Amino acid sequence: MSATSPSFQPDSTDLDRLHSAVKREKVDQQAGREPVPMLVIFLGVIVAVLAGGQLGVMTGGWSFKTSNPFHFAAAPDPRPKGLDDGGGADPFQTAMKKGASGYAVCGGCHQGNGNGIPGQFPPLAGSEWVLGGTERLVRVAQHGLVGAVTVKGQGFNTPGGMQPFGAAMSAGDLANVLTYVRNTWGNEGTMITKEMVEKVRGEEKRAQQWTEADLKPFADKNVPGDIPAGPGATAAAAPAPAAK
Amino acid sequence: MQTTPSSADLDLQADNLRRAAIDKSVKGPVLFLFLNGAFWLMASTILGVLAAIKLVSPSFLGDCQFLQFGRLQPTHINALVYGWGIQAGLGVMLWIMARRSGQELKGGKSLLYVAGVFWNIAVTLGLLGILLGGSTSMQWLEMPRFVWPILLGSFLVFAWPMAVMFGKAFRPEGFMVSTWYILGACFWFPWIFLTANVCLHCIPSLGALAAGINAWYVHGVIFLFFTPVAIGSAYYFIPKITGRPIASAELAKLGFWGLAVLAGWTGMQTYMGGPLPSWMPSIGALTGTLLLIPVGVVGLNHHLTTLGSHSLVATSPTLRFTFLGSLLLPITGVIFALLSNYSTGVNLQFTHAGYGFQIIAIYGFFSMCVFGAIYYIVPRLAGCEWLSVRLIRNHFWFSTYGIGAIVVTSLVAGLQQGGDLNNPEMWDQDFMQLALNSRPYMVARAISWALITWSNVWFLIHLMLMVAGLGRRSSAPTLLHSAHDDTPHAAHA
Repeated sequence: MSATSPSFQPDSTDLDRLHSAVKREKVDQQAGREPVPMLVIFLGVIVAVLAGGQLGVMTGGWSFKTSNPFHFAAAPDPRPKGLDDGGGADPFQTAMKKGASGYAVCGGCHQGNGNGIPGQFPPLAGSEWVLGGTERLVRVAQHGLVGAVTVKGQGFNTPGGMQPFGAAMSAGDLANVLTYVRNTWGNEGTMITKEMVEKVRGEEKRAQQWTEADLKPFADKNVPGDIPAGPGATAAAAPAPAAK
Repeated sequence: MQTTPSSADLDLQADNLRRAAIDKSVKGPVLFLFLNGAFWLMASTILGVLAAIKLVSPSFLGDCQFLQFGRLQPTHINALVYGWGIQAGLGVMLWIMARRSGQELKGGKSLLYVAGVFWNIAVTLGLLGILLGGSTSMQWLEMPRFVWPILLGSFLVFAWPMAVMFGKAFRPEGFMVSTWYILGACFWFPWIFLTANVCLHCIPSLGALAAGINAWYVHGVIFLFFTPVAIGSAYYFIPKITGRPIASAELAKLGFWGLAVLAGWTGMQTYMGGPLPSWMPSIGALTGTLLLIPVGVVGLNHHLTTLGSHSLVATSPTLRFTFLGSLLLPITGVIFALLSNYSTGVNLQFTHAGYGFQIIAIYGFFSMCVFGAIYYIVPRLAGCEWLSVRLIRNHFWFSTYGIGAIVVTSLVAGLQQGGDLNNPEMWDQDFMQLALNSRPYMVARAISWALITWSNVWFLIHLMLMVAGLGRRSSAPTLLHSAHDDTPHAAHA
């Protein structure tokens, strides 16, 4: 192009030194004229068929109102069914499972095995406070407990007592933890439901911790309320029914 | 001169001079882009290591708010996309466009420097903005919103001279395949970047559709910028090194128009089953699968062109990187089809597999082609040869193994994660446990990024020495293999 201008007269010595990389380049050639191979057309058709399969029902009829093309292929629900409503997870098993993780709050003092520490923290396993009236148990967890208490014949008087841990939990979480405590380490007791906790919360708004004497009247009272039918409804927790 | 050269020799020498003059005209801007790109690439890989370690051990680096995973990961990806990918891509585009069109860069060079500086300032501010908590939370657009007009403007400053060069070029039939793609990228990137930013930043309350537009943008950048630039580069360098013409002009046309027509429709399948009108993901799934055709056709064409010259893959650094890149193109396409279609996509959606796809697209396929181009272009611009075969080999193998490990582990982790989450029998497993199950894969990811960082540190140092003119003073190219000493070196460069 600009080769005609005198300043571009080739000077091979300069080129050798400066532009050796340019000099060794290969000449460009016109692209080949090979036709598209038959195999490419064949494979292309297969890809097109597979791609077309992404349309059809998946488009939801090209409607702006359908957002989920998967609804027509409902799989059977694999979760074990409760005995009452024929759907959803068994409420007792769910409460036990969720309560087990919620128990991390309690386990710091009462220990993972529910035995507490003699002289410091009372046991939960086999404790009459846990297995007795639900009214008293909910109140202890909700508002805390202070002063001397007797559990399973042993005296405890922890400085500061038990803090109102339950107040920081949702009603459902507290119910689950209490259900878990009542049905672990050999304990067997009825479920405590979210509604029961809400009922106690509604009735009792005290700000200070309970003492053993204050709680005497509630010792054997149960919070009224419906318990979902199933293993947690009776004292004995039956094994979870097999999945249907 | 002792004898009068023949006219054919004169023509050849004039042509050599012409090409040398073109190289000289684009030297500054191209080297600027490459050097800054390599710097951001290293920054990105280091951030990749940190982010991967954070996934395994969240307490790593303490609880400093600037270095949490949620800020490191987008910084890592944005540095990779805007700092390295688009910047180095522009350098390759500019050089190939100038060479292929036979046009020198006439004037406006200082404007290119200004645009390059602004691009880097915008990326720096944007990444700092993410680390300081100013992220927009939109994938690949996390940088605070003030940077996008600067990025767009800078890109257009580079795209304009390229379009002019293409317009002025004498365009013989069948010669311009690589520049089709590069010209396409010049127009497509501003289109998707402008559309996505205007929709996401200027139109309020798009709701779920904003997520769809965002996914469309991400796939647009991959298939309408990274892919065409890398394919264009491969179409230029494979024939250049092997000395053979592109195998089939028909396949080249089919591949180009297939990509051009289909790529803009992909993206929304990311949200299949999500709160978008379901035909939108469905179209994405259709085109995502159909893209196998152009991607496969281009791969076949590159394969047919390289056929019979495989010994050059062993010796020429450019061809080795480009060969690997064009081999990874169909693999990227297959992974994308797996992510896009409804039968496998349901399990891979929203898992680590998505990251694996992004990394093979940007770092595997695109970057390998760009590395190949850089190994070819820089000696011509810097006037010296690459210093060390060992460093190039080190760069190649550490990158290859690193990327391979990241992609494979991400895909397997994604398959396991998504399969478990979707498995009805796992209804009682909590999400956290399933997330913890992918921990070994994340350890592998951290190690892989560390390997890649190692290779990139040396790549950056090597490139800096070249740009400083401290390369080998020799007329022989730096080749990877010395076993074939009987063949003349000049044939391999």
